[in-house]
Amino acid sequence: MSRRNDIRHILVIGSGPIVIGQACEFDYSGNQAVKALKEEGYEVSLINPNPATVMTTPGVADHIFLEPLKPEYVERIFQQVGPDAILSTMGGQTGLNLTMELERLGLLEKYGVKVIGASTESIERAEDRGRFKETVEDLGLECARSRVVHSLDEAEAAKDFIGLPVIIRPSFTLGGMGGSIAESEEDFLPLVEKALEMSPTHEALLEESLIGWKEFEMEVMRDRNDNAIIVCSIENVDPMGVHTGDSITVAPIQTLSDRQYQRMRDASIDILRAVGVDCGGSNVQFAMKPDSDRMVVIEMNPRVSRSSALASKATGFPIARISAKLAVGYTLDEVMNEITGQSASCFEPALDYVAVKVPRFELEKFPLPSSALGTQMRSVGEALALGRNMCEGLNKAIRASERKLEGLVELDRRTNDVDTLLRSAHPLRLLAAYTVICEKGESCLEEIGRLTGFDRFFLSSLYEQSLMDRRLRTEELTAKLLLEAKGFGMSDRRIACLSGKGEDEVARLGDEEDIHACVHFVDTCAGEFKALTPYCYTTYGEEDEGEGLGEDAVIIVASGPNRIGQGLEFDTCCTLASLALRAHGHKTVMVNSNPETVSTDFNISDRLYISPLNAEEVIEIMRKEGCRKVIVQLGGQTPLNMAQRLEECGAEIVGTSLEGIDETEDRGLFSALVRRLGLRQPENRMASCEEEVYEKAREIGFPVLLRPSFVLGGRSMFIAYDEDGLKDFLANGNVTLSKDSPVLVDQFLEDAFEYDLDAVCDGESVYIGGILQHIEAAGIHSGDSAAVFPPYKSKPEILEQMRQWTLKIARELNVRGMMNIQFAEKDGKLYIIEVNPRASRTVPFISKASGVNLIEKAVKVWLGESLVSQGLVDPKTNIGEGRCHTGWAIKEAVFSFDRFVNVDPQLGPEMRSTGEVVGLGRSFGEAYAKSQAGAGNRLPTSGRVVISVNRKDRKTIVPIAKALQELGFSILATRGTARDLFDEGVLCDVVLKVHEGRPNIVDMIRAHKVDLVINTPMGFHATKSDDDIRTEAMRNKIPYTTTTSAASAAVDAIRYLQRQEYIVREI
Amino acid sequence: MQQGYLILSSGEVFKGRLFGSTTAMTAGELVFNTSMSGYPEILTDPSYNGQIVLFTYPLIGNYGWDGTWSESGGIKASAAVVKRLYRGPLPPGRMSLDEVLCQAGVAGIEGVDTRALTLSIRDKGARNAVICPEDRLDEASSFLASFPDITQRDLIASVAVTERVRDPELPEGFAKVPASARHRIALVDFGIKTSIISCFYERGVAVDLLPPDFKAEDVLGKGYGMLFLSNGPGDPARLTDQVAQVARCITKIPVCGICLGHQLITWALGGRTVKMVYGHHGGNQPVKDLDTGKSFVSAQNHNYMSDMDSLPKGVRLWFTNANDGTVEGIYDEERRVRSVQFHPEACPGPHDGRWIFDAFIKEMER
Repeated sequence: MSRRNDIRHILVIGSGPIVIGQACEFDYSGNQAVKALKEEGYEVSLINPNPATVMTTPGVADHIFLEPLKPEYVERIFQQVGPDAILSTMGGQTGLNLTMELERLGLLEKYGVKVIGASTESIERAEDRGRFKETVEDLGLECARSRVVHSLDEAEAAKDFIGLPVIIRPSFTLGGMGGSIAESEEDFLPLVEKALEMSPTHEALLEESLIGWKEFEMEVMRDRNDNAIIVCSIENVDPMGVHTGDSITVAPIQTLSDRQYQRMRDASIDILRAVGVDCGGSNVQFAMKPDSDRMVVIEMNPRVSRSSALASKATGFPIARISAKLAVGYTLDEVMNEITGQSASCFEPALDYVAVKVPRFELEKFPLPSSALGTQMRSVGEALALGRNMCEGLNKAIRASERKLEGLVELDRRTNDVDTLLRSAHPLRLLAAYTVICEKGESCLEEIGRLTGFDRFFLSSLYEQSLMDRRLRTEELTAKLLLEAKGFGMSDRRIACLSGKGEDEVARLGDEEDIHACVHFVDTCAGEFKALTPYCYTTYGEEDEGEGLGEDAVIIVASGPNRIGQGLEFDTCCTLASLALRAHGHKTVMVNSNPETVSTDFNISDRLYISPLNAEEVIEIMRKEGCRKVIVQLGGQTPLNMAQRLEECGAEIVGTSLEGIDETEDRGLFSALVRRLGLRQPENRMASCEEEVYEKAREIGFPVLLRPSFVLGGRSMFIAYDEDGLKDFLANGNVTLSKDSPVLVDQFLEDAFEYDLDAVCDGESVYIGGILQHIEAAGIHSGDSAAVFPPYKSKPEILEQMRQWTLKIARELNVRGMMNIQFAEKDGKLYIIEVNPRASRTVPFISKASGVNLIEKAVKVWLGESLVSQGLVDPKTNIGEGRCHTGWAIKEAVFSFDRFVNVDPQLGPEMRSTGEVVGLGRSFGEAYAKSQAGAGNRLPTSGRVVISVNRKDRKTIVPIAKALQELGFSILATRGTARDLFDEGVLCDVVLKVHEGRPNIVDMIRAHKVDLVINTPMGFHATKSDDDIRTEAMRNKIPYTTTTSAASAAVDAIRYLQRQEYIVREI
Repeated sequence: MQQGYLILSSGEVFKGRLFGSTTAMTAGELVFNTSMSGYPEILTDPSYNGQIVLFTYPLIGNYGWDGTWSESGGIKASAAVVKRLYRGPLPPGRMSLDEVLCQAGVAGIEGVDTRALTLSIRDKGARNAVICPEDRLDEASSFLASFPDITQRDLIASVAVTERVRDPELPEGFAKVPASARHRIALVDFGIKTSIISCFYERGVAVDLLPPDFKAEDVLGKGYGMLFLSNGPGDPARLTDQVAQVARCITKIPVCGICLGHQLITWALGGRTVKMVYGHHGGNQPVKDLDTGKSFVSAQNHNYMSDMDSLPKGVRLWFTNANDGTVEGIYDEERRVRSVQFHPEACPGPHDGRWIFDAFIKEMER
């Protein structure tokens, strides 16, 4: 067997925007797949509307379409470039679902396109829960007791058979969306009802609760010659009941005997065979009853997944790349293991370390209902750490999750209800267990095990850590003790804290005693063969394997686990920088802890370190590699935060100097800069106590914007319209006020237009990649706002002023590399909101929309090539600017609100979007329509629009309503709005507001009698009724807009959609 | 805790903590095993007699010890070298690895840099080493210097039966003697793993265990369906008598074997074996079936291999190692011989090769 010659051109489906449960792991796998297929000489097309991805970088695939993942657009691609195969397994659940839809619509047959990767039959057999259970039971394996139901009556009967508690899982949803656990009779029916609604097939599986059982995952690959291997086994530290994406996990499996493990291995392969996965990877999940041999199959995914990305990084085995090779006909024994260069891919990786994954949550932005996790994934990212023992892995991974936890630490009982945490599936449960173990010692392990479901093996590791903590507290910190503590994966800071020393003292002791990190290679074979590829981690007290790359090498500090406001975009910047530096003959060292990313693919850099992103670790890596140059401006806030420490320890920060960075980050310095240059910023003050907050707000005048200093993604930001608002803000427990952490009080520019500008600077000139104008008005976080490139509603003189201000700032700060500026315009006056001396979220978007890879240009600047000599700027003005190559590009934010039932989807100054899509078009309408389709908002082309706007908007809404009427929509409006529309000659029906009686506007939405909602909230007087409208619209998946500018954009888009052209554009 | 040393004949010294028997001075050939589970099966595998097993996986002992997993009457490896020994609580009814080694009087050393040791063995080959308690350090180097090379040691006699055993009963956890057997085979015990017998029982094959000093006369004309040669420790080149007996049986009765058995068959057919640098020891070795082109993952444990160039005419390659291309199995249709280098019985390791037992039986039924 080998390469298939019956296909020539393959379309790879990406996974679209980042949402919870489907994140940048699919950029990693898609990117690998595209590369693997091109290597084989196939023509490769790619569809993915997510502009933040590496895979959509020009040159990666032969034809790249940033178009919505909808059948109508795929059909156009079939017509335009004529692929004869489609790879279904790289785009997550979205990719599988789209493939199934294409099949159902007969489009695959019509255009003669073959499905490769996973056949539609095997997808169905794996995804349809009823059929999957049948398949498993036919193999003589056990499933949890369960029934598939389609109605509430069926559910009642099933409950009697299974008994409570019952797990409820809707069919065909990603990341277990809509899943829940019914503990009581009262919960049961409402939860079933919700699950049925979530399922596209109106079907759900009810099953026996396995809560508290041990949970395992197997990553399996199988080829068409029936060769099968287990790439990685994973054990969840958190027991069943917590979604595996939210669990702390470790690879390989730690607590199963070989007999149990082999039984699970056999079962996994049998299942792949029965389901018919015969050219790719899958994962199979199992539960085992503690202290018994009862093994139950949970589910499988017939595609690459989040856990296959994790498994690839945990083992060094590139699952996606090899899946792609299998998809085009190769067998495992024909594909070489690139890491060793001398072993075949049909061998199973052997690890000589543990790989611990710790999820990253955004508890502040998405509070957990009753603070517990469940069957639905809620974490937004994850961090991976490798260590030679459990404690080392856990300490490093917890640190790497960047939750301000220095590893395994005791919780403060004054602020944490430790005993409740122990009993609930909470992200802090492990630390709650640790706290009790520290207090009570070894005797409590059994009791803790019973309460938490953590296996005794893991609890025993916690106990070992507690002994180490005690020694550090009580014994003198000798070189020997320090080395042992470092072997536990503890940071200098943690050791210092326990031993009552300063962090510097501990670091000095390490230097004096020559206690430094040593490098181990991740080689897939536990040392059996020599590794060729440079994938490594650091540990302590063992032989050092690596030879440094030397002083020419450049370290790129990446962005760590995904979180709201710092995600895929930054990883793309880091990846592109590494590739650009290497293309110019420079060696790069990538440091990152995020296993989902492309940057942690072993062939992106000359050396890759999986490591927590802290100054201490980066300094050790600098030492090891013998290099000093560090890039900190591409990974978001994480690397910037350590820049100063790195410089103190001898690093040479590439590009903009630390002073320059400080001037933008320090409020006082920044205001001085603005004054010095004669620019304008909103009035702003700082307050370090409560009285000051009131005082400063009164000075500035309401409304004011409040936020703690040094934050990313607008955490804890708040707009106060009056003194009551201030009171609300201060009453919120998240805000701590002191001299060191003051609150910033800014003038809030209500109804201003906001702009984002990304530029590359060389100290002399600036090249502006593009200026983006936000569609939503000021007050909505820039990351959450739809934005248009180029600006669509601004005067040329304002734009020119932005350019000039940018040049002034860049020169004054001597910016070298990337810079992002946010501007606002109100009443014809330009204000500067903030300057970020680093790459921003919008860099990949602007790069793709303008066709100029900004990161590559920045790298050239760092290598000494000026922007003038790069031909990017006019030497007379020292300014250059990119243009949108399709005419219009619109970035739309994508949210994961549907995973958080109790979260109001209203937008505000705090960022909550998880991802983004782009719409490209020749007209504004085309671009906006595509951005909405890409984001999963179904704009209607006919039907009924309900309009309810605040007083201010009643003028602007008239032309919009008229246009909608002309487009054939009937209009429904609340009383006030309706009156104004009548006055302007627009005929509409009146609908009641919620408090006016029934049936009201919410009832109409619920009954699906409305196809589009235009509802502008009443500013700070926003009523409960507005919230209900939005929430209900979201639940029922009815598109809604909260601003008139978005409504007007929607009108343009609907006009485009009515023409049914579905134009696709190659970038 | 008792400190101790692991000293290699090439001069490297590693300091660690002793467990199990902490007073004994133990020497043997140091080999590494890359399995991530199955330490009880490995340590009780008689093929490890005379060898010190270094576990590349750093956490050993995690799930304790259950007597029913034992591949023989007790621990057969000379000693165990681990990065980190688990000493915490275990599931009910299980013993700890430390306790088991203690009872068996076998030494273990933990806290040594197993990665460095593995790379050293990989690059410079398996060689003798000694584990020595701190207080006996002065004796160590002479002890090691005088310790014989593995090729000089008779390692079989102590791990095999001394006379014929009809229908050996297997401990709990393995198959029962088949009530009505389809076949009976003569199975020569060179230090057999219990799972091999169990695999035959599961397939309705009755077994007579023969001692390693068997003669062709003990096999031929006794109504056996096949002569089967087990795994076992040490250098096959030493076993010239056994090779001669096997050679006498070939063509008169089907002859099959596993591991050492396969190596003896190689010699008996006129080929030879060679020592490998560090061998194959682990549960992740890929082998390729040359008849079907399929590959699967196998458990392996050997430091010697059939020399591919030495295989005489008529002998066909059955399997090769997909990593390094070495011989993993041979057959000769005419002379009715079939053998594999890897361990189809697994335990520990993947079960993917269990069908090999059916192939052996088919050979006998042909």
